[in-house]
Amino acid sequence: MIANRSIRALPYLLTLCTGTVLLISQDPYWIQLVLGASLLAILALSWDILSRTGQVSLGQAAFFGIGAYASALCGDLGWIVGWLMAAAVCGVTALLLGLLTLRLRQVYFTIATIALSLSFKVLILVFGTFTGGASGIAPPMIGDGNPNVQMCAVLVLVLLSILASDLFLSDRYRPAFFMIRTKPSLAAVSGIPIVRTKVLAFVVSGMLAGLAGAAYAGLYGYIVPDDVFALSWSIMPLAATILGGMDSTIGPFFGAIALKVLEGVARNYVGGVGYQIVYGVVMILCIAVLPKGLAGLLAAVREASSPRHRATGAGVTERVL
Amino acid sequence: MDISGLIQTSMLAVAVAGLYAAVASGLTLEFGVTRIVNFAHGEFVMLGAFITFFLYSDYGFPFVACVAVAGTAMALLSYVVFVTFLARVLKQDEHNQFLATLGLSILIVNLAAVLWTPDARSMHPENLLPALQLGGATLPGNNLLVILISAAMYSALALFMRYTRYGIQMRMASSDIDLATLCGVNVDRVFTLSFVIGGFTAGVAGSLVALILYVHPLVGLDLVIRAFAIVALGGLGSIAGAVIGALVLSISEGFVSTFVPEGGSWGFGVAFVLIVLVLIIRPTGFFGRSIQA
Repeated sequence: MIANRSIRALPYLLTLCTGTVLLISQDPYWIQLVLGASLLAILALSWDILSRTGQVSLGQAAFFGIGAYASALCGDLGWIVGWLMAAAVCGVTALLLGLLTLRLRQVYFTIATIALSLSFKVLILVFGTFTGGASGIAPPMIGDGNPNVQMCAVLVLVLLSILASDLFLSDRYRPAFFMIRTKPSLAAVSGIPIVRTKVLAFVVSGMLAGLAGAAYAGLYGYIVPDDVFALSWSIMPLAATILGGMDSTIGPFFGAIALKVLEGVARNYVGGVGYQIVYGVVMILCIAVLPKGLAGLLAAVREASSPRHRATGAGVTERVL
Repeated sequence: MDISGLIQTSMLAVAVAGLYAAVASGLTLEFGVTRIVNFAHGEFVMLGAFITFFLYSDYGFPFVACVAVAGTAMALLSYVVFVTFLARVLKQDEHNQFLATLGLSILIVNLAAVLWTPDARSMHPENLLPALQLGGATLPGNNLLVILISAAMYSALALFMRYTRYGIQMRMASSDIDLATLCGVNVDRVFTLSFVIGGFTAGVAGSLVALILYVHPLVGLDLVIRAFAIVALGGLGSIAGAVIGALVLSISEGFVSTFVPEGGSWGFGVAFVLIVLVLIIRPTGFFGRSIQA
């Protein structure tokens, strides 16, 4: 159990250490790299939280975009108000949509979420006078462009996401989440409030993705609908989570880092067009060879090396039921 | 709004519906039999479109030959993909099956972007049929050809499913896999066959894309998202439902983009509203059976 707890503390420690090291070293290249991986980690955790209730979403881009625009439309009120606004708007949107899409099972849910993110892009274009339309809008910069403030703000967001993910893996929520996915009827007769739990997951997931969008907008200072609503914001978190291992905190977290590294390699060899090839390769290989991702591999290695673990059955990605 | 404008919009919408139905019928066939939601289906359509484009513009093949080659090539590719990759994933849960085909789709899209650049291109086909005149409106010959090819493909598919031995086995496997196995149906072969036929329809649909749309690596993704909407409307697994769904989506899209100001970019919005409305009223689509997970 001690080993298990130390693994769970790893994401927190790594985030804090990275922040400290970069605050001291001030290396702009590494700061950019860490910012990119952080945004992906937040999105991946938000995707995984939702997927634990059986809702496979391809709509994280919708919340990413809404968050970016909500913060941008706050304009002069500053980035902190913008972030709060992003969280609030995404929370309310997710609540309404969660209630609407709740009844859609499996594939239908996924299809609806893809169409959703494309529809929101159209909305932004239609209300062009208000949102800047296709030519985009300039949101308030985080900390007026100071890289230290930017990095701290984003890393706090990462910590928040890890915390949220761990909360939903705690004994209070974990059984309910996984039971809804694997045996909805059993969950219902066990007295689990299915509607409330699914909508809760959707709202938290939407808010985190929206905050990631607000952070993206505040980092680059300029957004256009084609960028923040791009399908790749929905696909990346999914590839990262599959690579790292679903249904855990360390899976999406380290998956995001690993995917960023792979993406860098791919950009180097393939170039700016088509580097996303790496997402496809990662997903195919992981599902065919490593269905539980890197975290599953780690668990298997640990299980094989210590017989005590097998006795307690404390695998990292162990599922209820 | 005059009457010829209405006829014009409707005729073009029916041609687009033919294309949508060609894409959606393969998707729904594959799902109906194997229960795999094949996200990569759109990519087979895209590859079919590129094959047609290259054969027609660079090598001067006649269009009919392009259709045959694209269909056959995609049937073969589908076979290879199914046997080497998807058959393996079949044993995993639905979650992973969907993610596997999504990964395949991302891989093929980006491979195409690397090989052929992301630019859109048109093969500028000459009209292969005379234009259709109706009540002051004109339907270009190539759009008419799309309707005809799509209708022919649908009829062939429907007859095959209704009367041939393999068609009956497929329908049996799709309604009760255990019963089919007990009756001596070779389920593996039927699964593979559904993907081969699905791949063939995707290749042919690709030729239709090249005929009336621009060819570019993302064209398959655009179409497959709409095809999902159509299949959701018509009911997953129902081929007749796919045709009706295609008509509903294409006509509503056509009318929104013609008669709503700035409605040209509303396509996905229309699709989304339709999906949500239909699924809330009738969660299994117009023609779908309820499918037990």
